[in-house]
Amino acid sequence: MGGGQWAMGGWRRAVLVVGWLVGARASGQLPAPPRPTRDYSVIVASEGVDRVAVVRFGPGGITVDRERYVGWAPTELAGPHGVAVSPDKKHYFVSLAHGTPYGRLQKYNTQTNALEGSAMLGSFPATAQVSPDGYYVYVVNFNLHGDMVASSVSVVAADAMVEVARIPTCTMPHGSRFSADGTHHYSACMMDDMLVEIDTRKLAVSRYFVLTAGKEMAMTGTPPRRTLDGATQTGGSHDMGGHGMEPPKPGDVSCSPTWAQPSPDGSRVWVACNKSSEIAEIDARDWKMLRRIAAGPGVYNLGVTHDGKKLLGTNKRDQSVSVIDVASGKELARIQTTRKVVHGVAVTDDDRYAFITVEGTGSQPGTVDVIDLIALKKVATIDVGSQSGGIDFWK
Amino acid sequence: MPPGTRRTSLAFCALVALSAVANAQSVAKISITPAAPRMVAGQSLQLRAQAVDAAGRPVSNAVIKFQQGGGQFEAVVSDSGLVAAGAVSTIPVTVSAIVPGEKPVITTVNVVVIPGPASTVSIEPRTVKLIAGQSLALRTKVLSAAGDARNDVVAWSTSASAVASVAEGVVTATKAGTATITGVAGSAKGTVTVEVVPADIASISITPGTPHARTGDVLRFNLTVKNSAGKTITGLTPTWLFSPGHGEIDNEGAFVGYDPGTYTVSANLGQRSAQTTVTLAARDVRRAATVVGSIVRTTFPTSEVWVHPNGKVAYLGTHLGGDRVYTIDINDPAKPTIVDSVIVNARVINDVMTSEDGKIMVITREGADDRKNGLVVATLDDPLHPKVVGAFTDGVTAGVHSAFIYTQPKFGRHVYLTNDGTGALHIIDINDPAHPKQVALWKTPRSDAGRMLHDIDVRDGMLYGSWWNDGLVILDIGSGIKGGSPSNPQFVSQYKYDLDALYKDVGAIDGPGFIRGTHTAWRHKNYVFISDEVFSKNDAEKLFAKEPSRAWGRLQVLDVSDIFHPKSIAHYEPEFGGVHNVWVAGDTLYMGAYNAGFRAFDISGELRGDLRAQGREIAQFSPADAKGFIPNSTMTWGVVVKNGLAFVNDFNTGLYIVRIEPKAAVVP
Repeated sequence: MGGGQWAMGGWRRAVLVVGWLVGARASGQLPAPPRPTRDYSVIVASEGVDRVAVVRFGPGGITVDRERYVGWAPTELAGPHGVAVSPDKKHYFVSLAHGTPYGRLQKYNTQTNALEGSAMLGSFPATAQVSPDGYYVYVVNFNLHGDMVASSVSVVAADAMVEVARIPTCTMPHGSRFSADGTHHYSACMMDDMLVEIDTRKLAVSRYFVLTAGKEMAMTGTPPRRTLDGATQTGGSHDMGGHGMEPPKPGDVSCSPTWAQPSPDGSRVWVACNKSSEIAEIDARDWKMLRRIAAGPGVYNLGVTHDGKKLLGTNKRDQSVSVIDVASGKELARIQTTRKVVHGVAVTDDDRYAFITVEGTGSQPGTVDVIDLIALKKVATIDVGSQSGGIDFWK
Repeated sequence: MPPGTRRTSLAFCALVALSAVANAQSVAKISITPAAPRMVAGQSLQLRAQAVDAAGRPVSNAVIKFQQGGGQFEAVVSDSGLVAAGAVSTIPVTVSAIVPGEKPVITTVNVVVIPGPASTVSIEPRTVKLIAGQSLALRTKVLSAAGDARNDVVAWSTSASAVASVAEGVVTATKAGTATITGVAGSAKGTVTVEVVPADIASISITPGTPHARTGDVLRFNLTVKNSAGKTITGLTPTWLFSPGHGEIDNEGAFVGYDPGTYTVSANLGQRSAQTTVTLAARDVRRAATVVGSIVRTTFPTSEVWVHPNGKVAYLGTHLGGDRVYTIDINDPAKPTIVDSVIVNARVINDVMTSEDGKIMVITREGADDRKNGLVVATLDDPLHPKVVGAFTDGVTAGVHSAFIYTQPKFGRHVYLTNDGTGALHIIDINDPAHPKQVALWKTPRSDAGRMLHDIDVRDGMLYGSWWNDGLVILDIGSGIKGGSPSNPQFVSQYKYDLDALYKDVGAIDGPGFIRGTHTAWRHKNYVFISDEVFSKNDAEKLFAKEPSRAWGRLQVLDVSDIFHPKSIAHYEPEFGGVHNVWVAGDTLYMGAYNAGFRAFDISGELRGDLRAQGREIAQFSPADAKGFIPNSTMTWGVVVKNGLAFVNDFNTGLYIVRIEPKAAVVP
């Protein structure tokens, strides 16, 4: 079985090593952020070109260590979307969104890059995460382009790479995150304006929360299933124009959630409301809305530092990343990204940096930007394959 | 505390602790009932499972989950283990016992889905006329009510054993008369009437006698039998045979030979037989292919090529990150020159096509940066500089993989699109190219999940859809054969075949789950050429890693003389590659054969059997260039033929303009 490092040649070669970016303020006002003292590596999926790259940032700058083709036929687009690294760092998993017609979850060895397993899932599998015990990978079947009916979360046994369960949730689930203790899994349904909680001990939905402004509702059990000719029971948005790129129409009060991020202490779940450009904060125990935090335009994916103090949101309609103080809910910084269509975020294990993926437009390459979370500045950037989105921290 | 209380308390705590340890069971295995499940297609079966520990005791806190592990198009399995099977197949079901905090215990049970009881027994040939003393093997097909083939051992009987006996499907004629032969399977039966004539044969001969032909030519032999009165006995059913060498002969005496040489063809009537010889020369169609001109592409892989009807402009798409179609001046095919490009919101442009009059062009979009894919419409007032005037995205934002423009005087101009998200066919009116509007949507009758439409061909008011797992589907979109129109497409027929069985060798290489499906169709005369896209699980990865790899896939020739009952009568497979896109011009079929490069072969005359073995290949060329997107590696996508030149697009390399040279004259 193939694996290991290899180079593509051809269209993308140049490694852009950008040193340290100095802010627009006059020199001498603030010292430049200190250089990293160690290497950090992330794994990034480029959906437009069927590639996965290992990007490393460290004292020597930023570089693409290696790339790997992950498609299933050279003349068809497999569309790698989500990336998830196992807790033991030995494997990474990539969801392939496009199939014939179903997508897949692929398992690769982080050292050798060898493909070690594959499981067929549902329609447009997207965000993925490995459970804290390493036993399972939960992948949302986003079903971005199919009929707007209820979809599911696939549960894959990580060792054997077989799907062991497919849990019905609601329409267009996106985001896939476990609570720190692994007992619950969270995702958000874009079309039904819901946050969904799965009890991983029972492999069933335990609660859901309707996020539409003015119609907030905490419920137990599985949400009612949307059918093709039935209306939803919430104010969920029916307009999927541009998948988070188009602003809401006048009068649209829907959230259109695109991410669910539990806090490290398990007390809260934050939900990115892409349409209303805010972050809903839900009390994980009492299952009630605590507050709505103003976010950047089209907030899309979320990340949180391990100390629970800073929340990051990628602003898909704005070409920026917001860093928010959790305690006050105030935006500490809004940092411009290199290109447009901001997608994913991964925070380093020491909370020092955040890696941001940017899809780019047209034939532009994708980009990985590095944010210094102390200086709150972009400190490095590098091009990768176009439409880079899924990202996870490796080491 | 009273005496002994402390000891009691401690003992009690110890008991509780021991109890807790004893209750912390681990799942050792899963027992499934039934252990070897079998069920009939069309019915349901409930599987049950229990997780037990090493001592065989049930693990009470284990959650049991059933999950379908394959056969998504043949059955549905609920998470509680209810299997509803729609077709004959083997359905792997994953059964998991999940205990929080422990690794799951997983096992798989294969549910074998068998055909329903025998419903029909069909016997071939349908009319049998033998001479006394002749034997003939009958062919039978036993089907269930759902049309699934069964493997019953048929019980045979005859109504008149003195006239004709039957054993194990072989009829032996004894004396003149009529007998009804009956084949029974379960409660189903089929019959054939056998007429036996006296063995009064004065002469028996085969025509044409000692013909000369070429390999691949189909020769239809007829048997002429006369009795002692000089009267011709008509309608006899001989057994046709040939030897030596390779080829095939059917029950009606149609013969095709693969190797040059002399064959003996026999018609057997029991103790009497006739023979003739047929001498085949090599088909001798081989010619040289010369590259007239080329454009090597390095920035993106190359996708579709199309040539404007004026023959002076070619259009070349891009893939894997590519967002543009190049317009190429091919006035001098030796010096093709990129003149302009059309940039669209896409990262894959799979298809480009112009209208028959060259005024309109359509471009498909996938991988849009806003994930809102669809179709672009451009006008070609100046074919070298297309002007985008319209777009269509309604309901096709998942992506449009293929598009076909077709104009009918009665209905005007329409584009027929594939929908990546639902596998549906969308029919779009583009009589006003700036305002395309959908007039119809058609889907194969299955669940939305599981449907994939890959490509479309339209000829003479009939649409030929390559519907991946569902094979070829033929629709009337204006021919009138079923009253169809662009706004009211009507189903005509379907040719579906077992892709897993056809490519079982591919599955044996890297395991099940390999890529395979009906990919392309092209209607030519009374044939439809269909080809499959097939990759083993690791082939594509090896290609990009520049390790030895290959595509697979067969081109089948379907006889659609009876359009309602297409049947496969010939095939072609390159020796090391597959078949991606095809083009027919005159009596030549051109193809892009992936790593097998560009191929052209002769499709003149009637087609039967293995077309490659017959020596029908005319030319072959492997595009590759050190500067290509993937250097020195062939991956040929397709070809368009215009003005005697083949415009060959190679995914790895770019565009090649190839001329197939005339046959070299023999110099005495």
